[in-house]
Amino acid sequence: MATTPALTDADTLTMLRTCVHCGICLPQCPTYRVLGEEMDSPRGRIYLMRAVAEGRLEPTPTYQRHLDLCLGCRACETACPAGVKFGTLLETARADVARRGRPSAQSRVTSLLFRLLPNPDRLGAAFGLARRYRRSGLQRLVRGSRLLGAFPRLAAMDALLEQVPDEAALPEYVPARGKARGRVAMLAGCVQRYLFHDVNRDTVRLLSLAGWDVLVPRGQACCGALDLHAGHVDAFRERARALTAAFPEDVDYVVTNAAGCGSALRDYGHWLPGSARLAGKVRDVTELLVDAELPLTSLPITVTYHDACHLAHGQGVRAAPRALLARIPGLHLVELRESDLCCGSAGVYNILEPEMADRLLDLKLARIAETGARIVVAGNPGCLLQLAKGARAAGLDLEIVHPVTLLARAARLEMP
Amino acid sequence: MGVSVTARGLGGALAAIVGPAGVHDAPAARAAAAIDGREPQWVVRPRSLDETAAVVALAHDERLAVVPRGSGAALTLGVPPERVDVVLDLAGLDAILEHNPEDMTVTVQAGVTAGALAARLAADRQTLPIDPAGWHARTLGGIAATAASGPLRLRYGTLRDLLLGVRFVQADGVVTWGGARVVKSVSGYDVPKLLVGSLGTLAVIGELTLRLHPLPEAEVTCFLPVASVEVAQELTAAIVDSTLQPRRVELLDGAALVASGLPVGPGGLVVSFGSVPAAVRAQQAIVTGLAARAGARAETLGPGFWATYDRMLARMGGTILRISTPASRLAMTLREARSVLAGGRDLVATACAPLGLIRVAIGQGDPAALATGIERLRASLAAADGSVVVERGAVGLRTSVDPWGPVPAPALALMRGLKQEFDPAGTLNPGRFVGGI
Amino acid sequence: MALTPECVAELERILGPGALVLTVEGRMVYECDMHTFYKGAPDAVALPVRTEQVQAIVKVCREARVPIVPRGSGTGLIGGAMAPQGGVMVSMNRMGAILEVDLPNRCATVQPGLINLWLSNAVRERGWFFAPDPSSQMVSSIGGNVSTNAGGPHCLKYGITTNHVLGLEIVTGTGDLVQIGGKTVDRPGYDLTGVAVGSEGTFGLVTAITVRLTHLPEAVKTVLAAFRTVVAASETVSAIIASGMVPAALEMLDEAIIAAINAGTGAGYPEGAGAVLLIELDGPRAEVEAQADRAAVMCRERGALSVSVARDEAERALLWKGRKEAAGAVGRLTAAYLLQDAVVPRSKLPQIMREMVAIGERYGLRIANVFHAGDGNLHPMICYDDRNPDELQRATEANEALLRACITLGGTVTGEHGNGLDKCKNLPLQYGEADLNFMYRLRRVFDPDHLMNPGKLLPSHPACGEGFRPRRPVLPAGTWV
Repeated sequence: MATTPALTDADTLTMLRTCVHCGICLPQCPTYRVLGEEMDSPRGRIYLMRAVAEGRLEPTPTYQRHLDLCLGCRACETACPAGVKFGTLLETARADVARRGRPSAQSRVTSLLFRLLPNPDRLGAAFGLARRYRRSGLQRLVRGSRLLGAFPRLAAMDALLEQVPDEAALPEYVPARGKARGRVAMLAGCVQRYLFHDVNRDTVRLLSLAGWDVLVPRGQACCGALDLHAGHVDAFRERARALTAAFPEDVDYVVTNAAGCGSALRDYGHWLPGSARLAGKVRDVTELLVDAELPLTSLPITVTYHDACHLAHGQGVRAAPRALLARIPGLHLVELRESDLCCGSAGVYNILEPEMADRLLDLKLARIAETGARIVVAGNPGCLLQLAKGARAAGLDLEIVHPVTLLARAARLEMP
Repeated sequence: MGVSVTARGLGGALAAIVGPAGVHDAPAARAAAAIDGREPQWVVRPRSLDETAAVVALAHDERLAVVPRGSGAALTLGVPPERVDVVLDLAGLDAILEHNPEDMTVTVQAGVTAGALAARLAADRQTLPIDPAGWHARTLGGIAATAASGPLRLRYGTLRDLLLGVRFVQADGVVTWGGARVVKSVSGYDVPKLLVGSLGTLAVIGELTLRLHPLPEAEVTCFLPVASVEVAQELTAAIVDSTLQPRRVELLDGAALVASGLPVGPGGLVVSFGSVPAAVRAQQAIVTGLAARAGARAETLGPGFWATYDRMLARMGGTILRISTPASRLAMTLREARSVLAGGRDLVATACAPLGLIRVAIGQGDPAALATGIERLRASLAAADGSVVVERGAVGLRTSVDPWGPVPAPALALMRGLKQEFDPAGTLNPGRFVGGI
Repeated sequence: MALTPECVAELERILGPGALVLTVEGRMVYECDMHTFYKGAPDAVALPVRTEQVQAIVKVCREARVPIVPRGSGTGLIGGAMAPQGGVMVSMNRMGAILEVDLPNRCATVQPGLINLWLSNAVRERGWFFAPDPSSQMVSSIGGNVSTNAGGPHCLKYGITTNHVLGLEIVTGTGDLVQIGGKTVDRPGYDLTGVAVGSEGTFGLVTAITVRLTHLPEAVKTVLAAFRTVVAASETVSAIIASGMVPAALEMLDEAIIAAINAGTGAGYPEGAGAVLLIELDGPRAEVEAQADRAAVMCRERGALSVSVARDEAERALLWKGRKEAAGAVGRLTAAYLLQDAVVPRSKLPQIMREMVAIGERYGLRIANVFHAGDGNLHPMICYDDRNPDELQRATEANEALLRACITLGGTVTGEHGNGLDKCKNLPLQYGEADLNFMYRLRRVFDPDHLMNPGKLLPSHPACGEGFRPRRPVLPAGTWV
């Protein structure tokens, strides 16, 4: 499919008609849970999309708003018995809106985000600025002044930004410890490589420990997830082509440790002819570590595990992270009720729709509190930022970590 | 005093419908058919549903008060009547119309007795598990109209749950059908529910389609003597909060134990299980264990116990009250009932313990004191949404205290609305029901 | 009919911000429930959170003579939760709290928007559950279940919704808030709760429900038996019921549905069989073992290709997930279908299934089956292509033929889905004029102004209209002076 997709495409129409309106998706949808309105449920959104596709409804601002409010978390896909691929429909509908020349109300903040985030170099520079913003005390001043009250999206960004670690580069190649099982290439990510550099570092070292030769291809930029989810299909395809080119063919797997990225990569086959091979090789780091031989010492802690949407719903990965945590001696894993209900991060949703994101965050924090665990594990940088923000705002003593961080701790991997 | 011209004419009209042998207006017949001392002008016995309908139509046109009757066991349930013109004797509608053993359903006319039905169903090892006191002799129509029930309701529900379809005669004589003939239906409104317990005030029930159950392969009955009603309540709670599936859990007080021929004591629970033999034995063992933990030594009773129990309840004289309270307040209510009602009289109490449904029989005594006691008990139960209904009592009692008790005004308004809609002329059992309906 | 600005302003005042949907887009998504064949957009959708708001809404609508249509999760199958005459749709899904759980008295009080399964989930750890389990239970609301008197696979043993409703709080068509029924049994008066359950919003809006809770059984065993043909499976069902066994559930699924479910949920139903029986026994362990054995023997005696038992809770859960999602999984088979809900006597099951095969052939349509064979409650899905008007016509005729066949065998029009707009027109097949008129007058007592969900449950038939009087018995003439 080389052209920009439209809702009126034959296979899109077929997919829209696959929905039999059973409503099983409703209780799984975070926006339906919060708002309790049919328009902000997957079933309702599909109904509206179909109405637009069949010419019964114009893609009005109200229609776009209901699409905008969707997190793209794909919990509905997990629930749907008829196999409707809602995520793809949403992206097509958003692309459709963009194509008709009526982009959703793009504030300056949104445009800024889309110019910044998927571009690692620019992002790095921005984070450098952010670091200075924090360290100079300016952030404290701004927060104290309530200046951001009038700018909810800027306020949201500010709230998420607590730590901006110093830069450190990843090695391009790390050989396997002992005999190599194979070769893997790792996605460094955008936000991940700056804000969670240690997670990337631990990922590389654990994979090496597990017997994989690890490549971190230079020149890799963004996987295009944000553009795809927003319906900027052309921009997405550009990034996807660039990324595909940056990754070598001769690897067994392409490894991600950021759920949003992994999910987008697995969808490459749908949007980009010729990239099915790459898409087929994508694995989350937990999938590769779960049955590896790793020397793990005891961590006598109680943790609970939050399913990042794009890992559980987007990639179907639920068992591996849990099994991996269970392998750490002494670790007690308490199941989180509604673990796969979105925390509100959903890419940059928590910046674009801070109110809804906060309500979902509240729900999530309440569930976490029920477990009594002080450590929350999640496999996605967006979730880590969102949960950490929520813990801070509520004054909760919680440690929010990526699974590989705990693995690294148990494997006694020293800091350099 | 002679019969008036109009009455003679009406008598003739009735005879033209049911045949001369079906109309009884001789003094002896009328006296025998009196309800709370009020004699009817005629006792009419139709032979078919169509005849029943015609009688009701005539009564409607002539504004005659009609009181349907089955076995007569519950004729004095309710407010004593101010008018009784026709007693409609439905005992002649005694045909079992259709029994479908493979479908577990049966259709009977209203005058079929539960005993006759049981005999017919036994051959297929099936049962209609409805067992109010003296059930053998009671008609299905009467049981339905009074919503009567017994110990088996714990497992199977009442006729409210077992009546699938009903053919009835409206106040103006129109024959009407409601419900369905199969075990599951939501077609239209659930009309059978409206008629169960309606005391013949909305319609006269003519035919009933009922849901049947298989007779259990094996059954065992255990007696669990207890030291107090509090222990009985706790033991009941333990039985309910378990995986046991008893058919009956009846509480008997000391007097009931004596009347049932059980060992003397403060009280006891009698529990029965019905299933395949292995499951019956297993449950018996479990309940024996529960009883032991409550300080009770379980004893197995013979299969004839429930017949004895039924006879005991049916023979009980005096005033019969039905007290409904939440199961969590069973013991408290029993104590209170005894304290405000007994007043030196004999009092026998039994209950379907898990449902908080108590049956109290009170011997002869001062009716005014009894009336006061009933009012006090009602007031005390009001907060917990409980009720006290006089199932049987002297005329004097039932005129000095409402036999039904209070019904909240908005609900009563709806009930009055129903009566007004379906019997605007007020000819069906008028003035007997709640709120003077 | 449009709402006046005053009416809208009043509703907004009652509901507060963000609780009254007036946009074209919003009203559009509320124009149908799961049965998308019937569409009717309301003029506004109200989303109350408190009983007082519900009562105020009814009063406003009554004064303005605006119809009211209640809605729960919108998963009904009969064109119930849609507004063919416009008006105000009152969606109760924001009122979904558990108000009280009273285990010593085996009951709970809930708001109508609470999802059915969530109630069972809330009490399961303590050993209890809410027995009515419609296949939609993971999304349908208890208010919706009460409205249609929903059934489900386990109602074979445990009864339908009405057998588990102790009391209701309801705002009737006159705007009065009435408590009917309650925790204690045998309350004096008419069984208003009994007639209100299944009244599909025509009596008023239910704002609270007291339900009976049931204790979880000691043991559960799920048996899966595959048969070559649907008729062979039906004969087994009849035999099981006739033998006096009351399984907890006895479901039948045919080949087409099995393929759809396996693709959708990977539930592991045996492929290649013409029909499969899902038999569940529950209760005391020894009873479950004995009944499972007997059921297996009966299946084998009637030519079952295979008989297996679910090994553990996970396997059992997956089988039920597949069964309950069947209505959704059908999306893989066909874009559109007409769904029947007729019930036949169990002994007539083989006969009606043969008739169904014949009807499918006669009209050239595929009919998929997944249903509650144990109570004779059929759910044939007559598949058709909704872009082809000829196919819809044939499907409609096939539907009609099948329904008539069911009624002829002594059945009923609808076993659990309800009447709504879809089935009410068939009621004259089962009820005479006097019967329909009685029901019409019953409704009038609760809703004299005919504002509550008008056009639903009863057909537009002369007997259901003002002034109709059924025929009365002819009395002997001239015998009195």
